[in-house]
Amino acid sequence: MHKEAAIRTPLILGDKTYHDITADVVGPIEGKASKTWYLLVTIAGLIALWGVGCVVYLIATGIGVWGLNKTVGWAWDITNFVWWVGIGHAGTLISAVLLLFRQKWRMAINRSAEAMTIFAVMMAALFPGIHMGRIWVAYWVLPLPNTFGSLWVNFNSPLLWDVFAISTYFSVSLVFWYIGLIPDFATIRDRMTAPAAKKIYGILSFGWSGKAKQWTRFEEVSLVLAGLATPLVFSVHSIVSFDFATSVIPGWHTTIFPPYFVSGAVFSGFAMVLTLLLIMRKVMKFENYITIKHIEYMNIVIIVTGSIVGVAYITELFISWYSGVEYESYAFINRFSGPYLWAYWAMMTCNVISPQLFWFKKIRTNLTLTFILSIVVNIGMWFERFVIIVTSIHRDYVPSSWSMFYPTWVDVGIFVGTIGIFFTLFLLFARFFPVLALNELKTILKVSGEKYKKEDH
Amino acid sequence: MANNKQYWVGLEELHDTEEFKQAKENEFVSQPQSVDAFVSATETSEAAPGRRDFLKLLGFGVTAATVAACETPVIKSIPYANKPESITPGVPNYYASTFYDGTDYACVLVKTREGRPIFIKPNEDSGQVLNARINSSVLPLYDSTRLRGPLADGKPASWDEVDSEIENRLSKTDGDIAIITGSVISPSPRAAFEKLAEKYGEEKVRMVSYDALSQSAIRRANERTFGKAVIPDYDFSQAKVIVSIGADFLNDWLISTQNTAQYVSRRKPDGDWMSKHYQFETLMTLTGTNADERATIKPSNEGRLLLALHNKVAEMTGGSKVSVKTDDLPTALIEKAAKDLAANKGKSLVVAGCNDTALQVVVNGINRMLGNYGTTISTNTELFVKNGNDSEMKKLVADMNAGKVGAVLIYGANPAYNYPEADKFKSGLEKTGTAVSFASWNDETASLCGFVCPDNHYLESWNDYYPKTGHYALAQPTISPLYDTRQAQDSVLKWCGADQTYNEFMKEVWRRYSGEMGGDSILFEDFWFNALRRGFVNVDVPGESVFGDFDASAVASAAQSIASRKPAGDGFEAVFYTKVGIGDGAGAVNPWLQELPDPITKITWDNYITMNPADVEQYGFNMHYGQEMPASVAKLSVNGKTIELPVIAQPGQKRGTAGVAVGYGRGAAGEEVGRAAFRTKEYGGHQTDENGNKIPVGVNVFPMVSMEKEGPVFHAAGVTVEDAGRTFAVAGTQTHHTLMGRTSVVRETDLKTYKTSGPEKYNPPHVLPIHEGGTVINKPVQDVDLWNNHPVAGVGHRWGMSIDLSTCTGCSACVTACHSENNVPVVGKDEIRRGRDMHWLRIDRYYSSDMNMEKGSDEGKGVIATYREMEVPQYDNPTTVHMPMMCQHCNHAPCETVCPVAATTHSNEGLNQMTYNRCIGTRYCANNCPYKVRRFNWFNYKAYDKFTEVNPAQDEMARMVLNPDVTVRSRGVMEKCSLCVQRIQGGKLDAKMKGKPVEDGAVKTACAEACPTNAITFGDLNDTDSKVLEGHKDDRAYYALEEIGVKPNISYKVKVRNV
Repeated sequence: MHKEAAIRTPLILGDKTYHDITADVVGPIEGKASKTWYLLVTIAGLIALWGVGCVVYLIATGIGVWGLNKTVGWAWDITNFVWWVGIGHAGTLISAVLLLFRQKWRMAINRSAEAMTIFAVMMAALFPGIHMGRIWVAYWVLPLPNTFGSLWVNFNSPLLWDVFAISTYFSVSLVFWYIGLIPDFATIRDRMTAPAAKKIYGILSFGWSGKAKQWTRFEEVSLVLAGLATPLVFSVHSIVSFDFATSVIPGWHTTIFPPYFVSGAVFSGFAMVLTLLLIMRKVMKFENYITIKHIEYMNIVIIVTGSIVGVAYITELFISWYSGVEYESYAFINRFSGPYLWAYWAMMTCNVISPQLFWFKKIRTNLTLTFILSIVVNIGMWFERFVIIVTSIHRDYVPSSWSMFYPTWVDVGIFVGTIGIFFTLFLLFARFFPVLALNELKTILKVSGEKYKKEDH
Repeated sequence: MANNKQYWVGLEELHDTEEFKQAKENEFVSQPQSVDAFVSATETSEAAPGRRDFLKLLGFGVTAATVAACETPVIKSIPYANKPESITPGVPNYYASTFYDGTDYACVLVKTREGRPIFIKPNEDSGQVLNARINSSVLPLYDSTRLRGPLADGKPASWDEVDSEIENRLSKTDGDIAIITGSVISPSPRAAFEKLAEKYGEEKVRMVSYDALSQSAIRRANERTFGKAVIPDYDFSQAKVIVSIGADFLNDWLISTQNTAQYVSRRKPDGDWMSKHYQFETLMTLTGTNADERATIKPSNEGRLLLALHNKVAEMTGGSKVSVKTDDLPTALIEKAAKDLAANKGKSLVVAGCNDTALQVVVNGINRMLGNYGTTISTNTELFVKNGNDSEMKKLVADMNAGKVGAVLIYGANPAYNYPEADKFKSGLEKTGTAVSFASWNDETASLCGFVCPDNHYLESWNDYYPKTGHYALAQPTISPLYDTRQAQDSVLKWCGADQTYNEFMKEVWRRYSGEMGGDSILFEDFWFNALRRGFVNVDVPGESVFGDFDASAVASAAQSIASRKPAGDGFEAVFYTKVGIGDGAGAVNPWLQELPDPITKITWDNYITMNPADVEQYGFNMHYGQEMPASVAKLSVNGKTIELPVIAQPGQKRGTAGVAVGYGRGAAGEEVGRAAFRTKEYGGHQTDENGNKIPVGVNVFPMVSMEKEGPVFHAAGVTVEDAGRTFAVAGTQTHHTLMGRTSVVRETDLKTYKTSGPEKYNPPHVLPIHEGGTVINKPVQDVDLWNNHPVAGVGHRWGMSIDLSTCTGCSACVTACHSENNVPVVGKDEIRRGRDMHWLRIDRYYSSDMNMEKGSDEGKGVIATYREMEVPQYDNPTTVHMPMMCQHCNHAPCETVCPVAATTHSNEGLNQMTYNRCIGTRYCANNCPYKVRRFNWFNYKAYDKFTEVNPAQDEMARMVLNPDVTVRSRGVMEKCSLCVQRIQGGKLDAKMKGKPVEDGAVKTACAEACPTNAITFGDLNDTDSKVLEGHKDDRAYYALEEIGVKPNISYKVKVRNV
């Protein structure tokens, strides 16, 4: 089944046995939560509550509590939306695409990456909802049969495509993630002694008994879902990019957007996975599962996607000049030299220059630097979306309407709040869910082989 | 057999008992107790209800409690049980009336719906046009802060009490009785006041008028040069060359609406000729922005400039010269103007704005040399507006202070606010025994008066006007008084003991004059009815001259006096000017006008000091303002009086000068003058000072106007400007002022190019290089299309608009008309500052810049540096262009494709429609609009506290001004120009009723109707004879941003300058 070259370092270090894996993953769920966990979940929870408060204030008062104006109709709302969707890219890419490519190293990271995806997409989905002036009629974006006569949604609108793309992506990701969880829930169920917990995990595991037939079906479903999810990885962000690409606004109206957005999404998604896993690895002592090798692989993905993004930025600039269209060229000149030049250069520094540091093996295998750079990348990716959205529309065709955008405390509050909600969910996940795909991990553990290597011959 | 079968319902029936029989007799066992009996019963046993009653009462009680708990809407309107004659619900009625407030005059048509006046439009038969101040005048009618009844000593009183007390006091007073008014141009009120003189003694009663924005120097100058204190009628439509020295004749000079219509009639490049307009001025005025050639001067140099012009004209026409120093004057332009003037003798016009007799005398001299009297300046038609007499007013104030005046009646004037020597007036008022004000608000003057007898709003009043020879006009009430107010003339008649109503009195006056007005041949009642229906009567003007003989020596002595004046030196000078929206201060109480962006600065809700950008830089003040960029505050001192106001950099203003608008700072001592006059807080409510008084918007600068010997002068020398060391947020709707070389947005050319070359020169078509058949060919953009055409061409109607940038003066009458027609919310200063104005129609104003792309590359400047410099308007004398911008109703509308719920769609008549109740508020459409004309309802403007003080829709009274044909939009939906779809539907229905197709011009949008210059033409593009189609096919027609292929239904016409 699993062939392993003798010269390759094993994917799981530390001479683990099958039982060790189960104990390492299920142990924290069975035991009491640490003080650190309680502290973290309190902080994250408070921030989340603050965010919820801001959302309630927004919905009660009106979109005017944000800093938007007649010229800039989208700013932090859609920036945050695209940013979170982008982050939500890595999970499915890791589990689906890497599964199809038989990249076994994914197994140590796919579970949390997928959880991150689910939570990030949930955060992302919040924004198109609350950015509506009348959220109470948000269901009108669904093509539901209705009593309004022949009223139907507008299939020309990329915003509608978003609705389909995001909801499909979310449901497929959720199902994929959950299917993977079933055998692991069964393991927890089998080990649980507390009756209530046993009952709950029993329900969650759908009566998994570990029969060979179930495992066959499990493998088949995983493969089918991976096949389904892979195009979605590309479609979601392509469609999100259509929101801009199909418009007439210089700086938005760009055919390069789909690949540019997808690679940007993978870029930011991997960075976020790194941010989370580097903490989790330390706190939950998963150094043997999430090894330097994983970090390095992910950093390589970041170099590649970061470079694609960099090329895209340069291409945009080139085309704006080459097109000879005064509005197009002004939009880009304004980006790097106008009132928002700091955002542009922050984006360039964080997204184009910083990932290039990973060419140095010393840097890409250094945990601290990786951690810092992973955060830098996500800051840069937030700025990328801000630059695309705000600096394009704040000065578009008619100079009389040019304006600036200034965020209000509600803009900031909701963004910070979603980070709070995200971390709250992730912490709950880390506490109650198997954070590593333990049953899958066991397939790449070569107990006999390792022993064989260690024994002197 | 079957018949014998018996069915019984119970044993009682079978046995046929007595009880059963009784019960059968009496079907209802016990009479139900009535509620009244139950409630009125005193004994418990008596009222003890039976089971049924108990249940009934319980049921009733529960239902009643439930119903009472629900708030049943209290509907105060009274249904038309019997249809009133002439009112059909849903169908507007129009009444001819007349607006006059001392600053503006026009014949209007008042649109009423179900008895409520809701819109003011021009009375087209009269040929008169409106401005923003006039068409906004319907809103104050419903102002809930207007006085609701008479006041005696500041307390509400009854009319009877007030009447008897005033009559008593007037008859007992020993001193004079003075009637202080603004310029009264109304025969009947004048007659009513004369009646007062009859009653209380001719020698005691005197009528004194003064104008807040005095132009009395023109009368005095004519007195000196022609021996008669008159103002002749000027005709800008006859003048091939117009030279204006500081006269903002499109805004506040004499009858500005008349000037506008006449001026623009000759600003059309397609006419026989186009007038040439020179403007010499200090500030950037509305008139100055429309000038072909413009130069700036300090106000103290206006006299010498006039002399220089006089000399040049004299040189060319053979008149006498006076010696004058001209080294610091724009001599080249003076010479050019003089040359043009001399070449157009009898077809030119020189006007000056200053209220300085000597200067106006020189103007008369120049016009006389040019032979303009009898051609562009009428010799037989006189204007009666601005008939205030400053010296009489001065004398009255002195008499009041001397205690000689026993009573004053103040009508149509607010001297405590706008009389330059208001302090003297106030102290005089204290020494006056009885003071009666007819003001509608308990304003600055009224609050100092013992009695306030509030006059009706003009839409509730009868009145007549005689603004110029041969033109009489009538005003009629269009609604009965909303409050317990009484027309001032009715009050006056009452105090005279007349038992006539003013209406009867007025008819009597007209009967007396009807012969003169051509009413001899018909019955008076018919004449009166026709006059009332038309709103005005024009009669032939007698041929005799209103002037006496010309006295050349007057000009010479005036010239001498100017030349001998001490030069003002290099110090700062100030000009106090009139704003388009606020006027003399009447507009400050009107939220529509406060929210109207100033046509020049585009700033709303504020007063400020304008200075040349170079001066602003030199002082180190903030050059730019914006949402988070407040303006610097400066201290401006004139004659020992100091004000603090924010400073705005105004391109095109003379260096070394400061401009401040009058009309602000209303209600500074806490007087109730209307809610819009006061500053609001960020989250609603008015700002108050430490005494709890509301803080007014801006500062009143009337006290800084210097009262010279002959009258007030609206500029001052010896001004100091200092940094006040703080900043103040100002709110403008446009914070970027140049066009950035975007010729596909605005196109302009000069008359010579236009006349001598084809459209490819001044209006080149946009072409796209297309690969076809292996070669690249240039195709016009309209032939390249990604989309299918909407099937509207040639089918049914296709509404469109044509806007002529040449004739648009930027006056902004369309903006307020749109506001009024379409129930556009007023959002207040804080929201405007945040870039959230709601205007469906805005006027973009661009200044020229010194830099352009070609110049930048010639000078070897980088593209970034070039663009940066293009953002900066030329400091000293930029050219200006005004561009009305509203929804372009694109045939390939970018907004339509992106809406996820199809809330904005294309109609089969070419309109881009907004369906409010389908909108979910994603704002995607607004982002994708290349013209940025979509407006989002950020808050619930009609209920949210923040807007209580500014939005009329939140006021119980002011809400009545809302147009019932237009939805008031709720929070969270997008809105934008609908091309007045309600009017289109109305027009179509009307045509259908008549069984005819919709005639061209039968439907007009509010903006097109309000436009005083007909710059906006609306109509059906499928109507082959329509004016709008002609406009679209014109050589000058272009579509804004045509190259992006959105195919607008609105076209613009290239602006042509006569340079």
